Amino acid sequence: MSLDRQDKISWLAGVPLFASCDEETIERIADATGELVFTDGQAIVQQGQVGNGLYIVVSGSVRIVAGGGELARLGAGDFFGELAVIDQQPRNATAYAEGSTDCLALASWDLIALLERDSGLAMNLLRELARRLRRADAQLRH
Amino acid sequence: MYQAEILDALAGLALFSDLDRPQLEAVAHTMSEEAFPAGQRILRQGFSGSGFFIILDGEVSVRVDGADVARLAKGDFFGEISLLLGEPPVADVVTLAPVKALQLAGPDLRAFLLTYPAVMYRMLQSVSRRLERANRRG
Repeated sequence: MSLDRQDKISWLAGVPLFASCDEETIERIADATGELVFTDGQAIVQQGQVGNGLYIVVSGSVRIVAGGGELARLGAGDFFGELAVIDQQPRNATAYAEGSTDCLALASWDLIALLERDSGLAMNLLRELARRLRRADAQLRH
Repeated sequence: MYQAEILDALAGLALFSDLDRPQLEAVAHTMSEEAFPAGQRILRQGFSGSGFFIILDGEVSVRVDGADVARLAKGDFFGEISLLLGEPPVADVVTLAPVKALQLAGPDLRAFLLTYPAVMYRMLQSVSRRLERANRRG
């Protein structure tokens, strides 16, 4: 798949994380993201590496693995890689492509600039991380 | 506590470390100061309608089904996850000693964070760190 600028804009506008963003912000995100295609089994990010950005799955699927255990499976519209950016810590998990997988990548500094500029986006991200935290805590107890 | 003491306490908290003095004064004005005796349940597992709390002094126990899963003290905060998700708390929060805390009413948290994006970013960092810890344990 190869997305042109207009494709990126209309696709990003449908991603839940960006639901509160206005048109201008979506255009900014489209211009800041690069499309990357991964083959089956390829590591997209690796545990222990420095976080260089956020990834949004366009098509295909991604398996998030830490210390041998699977944490999550992601599909189109889902995102990953944000923790290492926000926390400025090494990646806490490895993400593997399952089948041919297409992602849009947003560099750390672009994500941070966006969060500073758009507090609605920061709120959406905070809520999604709160949801993931609650799910992770529930799994630990069961 | 006097206003000046509350301001000094707020200025020392990581959550508010990016705010200047006038912003801290506004924050102190927005939140109410609460005192709880030892042994009091501040949040109830499964019950909605609570708030966001920042501990200024004292210690609390976070309990799930009666079992102690965490201890929180000065500078720590709780209640935000339930409020952000619009769901009841999944734990009890019980004071282990007399506790002084600042409280923000539940419905005000969203507007508060949108007013102070720097505080929201600090909260984002805190939730990220907790999520990383939870993932490591999993």
